[in-house]
Amino acid sequence: MPEVSPRHRLRSLATTLAVAVTLTLAAAAGCDNRREPPLPSVLDKLHESHVDGQAKIKIGISETEPLMGALRDGAHVGFDVEIARYIAASLGFQGDQRIQWVALATEDRIPALQGGTVDLVVSSFSMTEEREKLISFAGPYFVTTQEVMVPTRLRDRIRTIEDLRRPELRICTSGGSTTEAELEKHQVRAYVVKTVGDCVRGIRERRYDAVSSDETILAGFLSQYPTEFEIVDMPFGTSELLGIGVPIGDPALRDLVAFALQKSYLEGRDGISSPWLTAYNRTLGPWLKAEKSQPQPLHVPKLVDFDDKAPRR
Amino acid sequence: MTAPTAPPASVAPAGDVQAPRPVPPPAEPDARRARATQSFWTAVVGVPAVFSVLRLGVEAGGELQTTLLLVANVGTVNLLAGFLTTAAALLSTALVAIFALGAVLRVSVERMPPGTRRPLFARWVDSTPAWFAVASFLLALVTWPLLYLPLLLPAFVAAFQLSPERLHEQRAPRLLLLAAGFAGYLWLLAPTLLDAVRQGETLALMLLVVPPVVALFVTGPLPAAVTRPLASITEAAVLAMLVWAALPVITTPVLPLTVTTVESSPGVMEDVRGHVVTVDDVDVVLLQERGGVRYLPIGLVRAQVLCPSEDELPRRQLRVRDFHVEDSLLGGLGRRVRPVHRIDAACRTVD
Repeated sequence: MPEVSPRHRLRSLATTLAVAVTLTLAAAAGCDNRREPPLPSVLDKLHESHVDGQAKIKIGISETEPLMGALRDGAHVGFDVEIARYIAASLGFQGDQRIQWVALATEDRIPALQGGTVDLVVSSFSMTEEREKLISFAGPYFVTTQEVMVPTRLRDRIRTIEDLRRPELRICTSGGSTTEAELEKHQVRAYVVKTVGDCVRGIRERRYDAVSSDETILAGFLSQYPTEFEIVDMPFGTSELLGIGVPIGDPALRDLVAFALQKSYLEGRDGISSPWLTAYNRTLGPWLKAEKSQPQPLHVPKLVDFDDKAPRR
Repeated sequence: MTAPTAPPASVAPAGDVQAPRPVPPPAEPDARRARATQSFWTAVVGVPAVFSVLRLGVEAGGELQTTLLLVANVGTVNLLAGFLTTAAALLSTALVAIFALGAVLRVSVERMPPGTRRPLFARWVDSTPAWFAVASFLLALVTWPLLYLPLLLPAFVAAFQLSPERLHEQRAPRLLLLAAGFAGYLWLLAPTLLDAVRQGETLALMLLVVPPVVALFVTGPLPAAVTRPLASITEAAVLAMLVWAALPVITTPVLPLTVTTVESSPGVMEDVRGHVVTVDDVDVVLLQERGGVRYLPIGLVRAQVLCPSEDELPRRQLRVRDFHVEDSLLGGLGRRVRPVHRIDAACRTVD
């Protein structure tokens, strides 16, 4: 063997090290390539959720709130309904033939979720701490405020919360709503009926003088009777976060719904049209005073989905 | 393969276009070389062919009749194209490993006493034309996931024994060139590296940073004490890697996965998840994902959607300039052409 100089020896030692490091990295890459994804996938969550394998998904909605959830010529229409369709499609229930619509009154929403009558509730459902003890929420998908709608004949008499406290005025609201609690907080005595629609009918029949509810619901009735009513902006102070109600025992379903809302939120933020934006423009958009955009959903889980590799820009 | 750094050939048989060899050839060099050439090409052509047939059997769920149905309907060209799309990365990995290791072993053996038996990979490298090695590296370049691409650099440098001295004969310009190269590389990867640090992806970080540094030292002969064990260990390792990595490739379907909606009886819709074997004017033949073949009368098919498979889910959340690190260059470019890829709802529920 020829004599090897120290410089050559160092050189071949470096080569040995380099070859060893390359081989080690290659082996590590090979092992890494066979690793399971560390995050759960959308499909994993679907398999965990109770809706997996169901022929239809049961969604609780309102049929009496124009623009949000209403029945028109036998078809369900409204912002909530469109959002519900989008969520159902992201859960694998595409098209109305795979959705079972369940009409729910305001106060029936929580019992229906608890009793398993419905899998989801998309019906102007305000996310509150009290409710979160009984059910789970995914969202918010909309931020609204509490307002009061008065008939045009009374628009000069009812302008403030003070006015609502006047004993001769009959204020109406729907039972089991956040509005009911809010009115109580402001010492406004209210007649509590089943739906906001009953209040509106009552006002038109002169049984009540004003109705208080979420801006979105009131905008719906205003769209039905644009000449008869007016929405009065009152500083109730609290904003309502509308969320999608999910049974408390199914965190996987909550995660999936939140993930779907987040997907729509990201699409809208990137300037592409999103399912939310489409639903909004088709329903509420033209009737609300101020332009709204989709709020960022809370507590969105990190899930892996097939389109994760798609370019973002 | 013709090594650019190898000294001119002392003896080259007439008509031989292959590698020059400075070491006096051992006994019966031509016969040995012919055998090496033969074994190499047998492996290159034979392994894919055997794999293709094996995977049809796996795809059919081990059923003889189903395998025969697939054989009857999946043409040779389709099979080869299907194999190339799913196994190109594995094939190029094997070739790149052989060429890189073979070249390292070859230069190492040249320093050993004459008459030493040359390792198998070195003999394979001797008998392969350079264009084939370059083509293998190009195939690897476009089919490997971006995350593993940096590894191709030391492999390429080793395979062609491109020492840094070849950049420039003087030291200062050479260092400047290297520094510029590294700066450009780091600029390209800076956002990804920061992301990897933030996500605690140590392996990804190492895979991106270490290989270019290693590439500076990878050329040159190994000490004699290392060469012999390295030769036998790497031969076994490459074989083991082939077998180990071949399993998922064999089980990757060659047929597209779809969900087909059929109206099995009036008003009743049924979703069938399976791979389409063939469609004619009578039936859609589906190989169901749970096994078994379904012949669906074409008149009853109401809808059909293409679905992604679970294996396509990403493991990491890292991107290089908006290219996902688990995408190959080809895949990433494809996603630029058709950026939005919506998954049909039917793919989610039916299984």
